[in-house]
Amino acid sequence: MSDSLQLLPLLGLLLLAGCATTPANVAGAGTQLETRQIQTREYDTLDKAMTMRSVIATLQDLGFTIDQADAELGTITATRLHEHTMRMTVTVVQKDGLRIAVRANARIGENSVTDAATYQDFFVALDKAMFLTLHKVD
Amino acid sequence: MSRAIFTLLLVAMLGGCAASLPEAALRLPESTLEVRSIQTRTLATPSEIDILTATIAVLQDMEFNIERIEKPLGVITASKVTDADSRSEKTGLMFLDVLCALGGGGGCDAMSMAQDDQHITLTMVVLPSLARSGEYTARITIQRVIYDKMDRIKVLERIDDAHTYQQIFDNLQKSLFLQVGAK
Repeated sequence: MSDSLQLLPLLGLLLLAGCATTPANVAGAGTQLETRQIQTREYDTLDKAMTMRSVIATLQDLGFTIDQADAELGTITATRLHEHTMRMTVTVVQKDGLRIAVRANARIGENSVTDAATYQDFFVALDKAMFLTLHKVD
Repeated sequence: MSRAIFTLLLVAMLGGCAASLPEAALRLPESTLEVRSIQTRTLATPSEIDILTATIAVLQDMEFNIERIEKPLGVITASKVTDADSRSEKTGLMFLDVLCALGGGGGCDAMSMAQDDQHITLTMVVLPSLARSGEYTARITIQRVIYDKMDRIKVLERIDDAHTYQQIFDNLQKSLFLQVGAK
């Protein structure tokens, strides 16, 4: 048997070991606190309803359609079909006083988005929409 | 020889497992303002119920099914599945199959790649105008998935062309006129 043929089963096993395992991955990766920090910003300029209006405008600016929105629970889920399928859930929660916490989490296809820069881009876009809402620009 | 096989397998392995996320996936594109203006109109209407009713009616006119409505946020989501058959595309693919068969090749099945149907999702957000009281802003976003004859996704895209949005807003104006006039 030639060298190359002897190598084949070994490499085949390596291939299977690399790809074949499918853990349930229900809890997700990354630490809970770190994930929350990356995905959350707090605002004290607009009320909950106007913040939700700004979030919806931001999602539309980014090319999403809204799958579901609940004003009472402050939750919006949206999908974007462009090259990849991207889904986002954004929650708007009234904290003490005027403070509003906005948390966004995103998935692209089968992968969750974990990099801070992508969330930073989302919040930059949201800042602009909040500014327009605050200054009563449609 | 063994080195070549090893390299090939390594590439296959990486290709199979690696998942690359697009950069700047949530960065605002430069065309944001232009797209926003294409997708938005301000309409004068006596009440919120009038414009929401007229919006739902216009979506029904366009044969959409209403998926969800969240009235406090003015969000209406609708969808429809339509035929995406294109005669010119099918002619081209049939020509490819004929060429393939004439060349003596087996498995000539370019026709299975032909577009079959498209799933269109539309969100309309209707809210009181921030700038002018008594007026409402309506903003629409539309996207679609086109499947081929084998139910494989062929196109994933959002609809950006101004003509489509203009047509919907024209229909909405008419619908609003009928809605208010019927009272």
